[in-house]
Amino acid sequence: MPSDVSPFLATIVFFVGATFVGMAPVVKLIKVYEAHHELKRGSAGWIRTIAGWSMIAFWLMTTWFLATTLGDWAVSGDLSGAVDRSWLRLRILLEIAAALADSD
Amino acid sequence: METTIGDQSELQCPNCAGQCSYSPVHGGLECASCGDVHDLKTDDDHKAAAEFGFDPALSEDDLPDLNKTSAHHCNTCGGDVLFTGSALSERCPYCDGAMVLSTQDAGYHTTALIPFEMDALLAQHQAQRWVKRRIAKPNDLAGIVAKGRVAGLYAPFWTFDSKEAVEYWAKYTTGSGNNRRTRPTKGRMNISFDDLLMPASPHITPLIRDGILHDFNPSALRPYRAGYLAGFAAERHHQSVVTGLKANADDKRLLIRNRIKRHIDKSGVRDIRYRTDTSGIHYRRILLPVWILHYEYKGEPMKVVVSGIDGRTYGERPFSMAKIALYSGLLSAATIGIGLAWGAGGLL
Repeated sequence: MPSDVSPFLATIVFFVGATFVGMAPVVKLIKVYEAHHELKRGSAGWIRTIAGWSMIAFWLMTTWFLATTLGDWAVSGDLSGAVDRSWLRLRILLEIAAALADSD
Repeated sequence: METTIGDQSELQCPNCAGQCSYSPVHGGLECASCGDVHDLKTDDDHKAAAEFGFDPALSEDDLPDLNKTSAHHCNTCGGDVLFTGSALSERCPYCDGAMVLSTQDAGYHTTALIPFEMDALLAQHQAQRWVKRRIAKPNDLAGIVAKGRVAGLYAPFWTFDSKEAVEYWAKYTTGSGNNRRTRPTKGRMNISFDDLLMPASPHITPLIRDGILHDFNPSALRPYRAGYLAGFAAERHHQSVVTGLKANADDKRLLIRNRIKRHIDKSGVRDIRYRTDTSGIHYRRILLPVWILHYEYKGEPMKVVVSGIDGRTYGERPFSMAKIALYSGLLSAATIGIGLAWGAGGLL
């Protein structure tokens, strides 16, 4: 049984990690935004800049998924149970990720 | 482009024999002494949009002009630039590097150009405005860019027309979960490229082209003559048609693959292979006006390019890592907050 502060500490560490990992997707997000507004739609430069936009969605989805497990853990106090309950969410997320990767 | 030497008399004011330069504001040659403006329009201007046919099966009869002209060579980026009239500069318009006089520049005849329609002041304003509007820019960026000055340059471009009879093979996905399947597909399609604008200089990247030259209008082309270049730098065309087509093959491949994806119109299209029979190649060797502003950020040289036609602006920019971390932190916090609430609420 973890102490009450374990989920909180894990969330802090997770936040720092998600922020660090998220820096590259945020740069990509800005580049995609600028490309949408400034590059000629359908041009070679536009296609190259837009390509890879799904990394932004993958980062947000991964962050959300792990946070849901942490939230469950914080309330139930049962980490392995929270992980078990997250499998269905993970499967749905993987389906969404596959669809996003297809359209990237 | 040897005419830049031969037509220097055109740059002399017929009223006072003063030195003239092209004025984007007045659309003609403006005398620096008496201020008179001389029109450069001719009855043959409409012929400037003419295209030239090219058959890859035949040997190339488009040979470079071997009359070497006095160009300036950049020791930093290797660019060769001509200065017409009073525009002589000791700095390279492409990279701001030092330039030396060279007599080794032999190039191809330029057929047409679009004259500058924006002056330096407006271009400078556009470049600074573009920089100020960058998201997550370093705080000191606008101040650094404000110290830079734009340089006007006629950059060499191609326009290519072609007809492509494409036969393709690809895969796409259907269904989801356990029903997800990959299926093969094949088809044929015809693609017409009309006035595909391609840089003929390594200094102008396709990304900058796509940022500043959205709507190329061939009717704005004017016959090549020294008067339009007066006051600006210009780079000669150094590529044969075959070299130009090869240099731009990557862009064309990407556009064809994108058209194939749209033609298949299914999700998850991948492993695209295609064969194309290209015909009807027509080209123009033209010069297009750009204003380039150089700046250096933390030792890295960067440039902002403004279209001399309509002022569209695009360029290279640095990011503030502190701001990127802040935005990433905010997005992470929001996503984690929603996730924690979702998990704590026992939803799905």
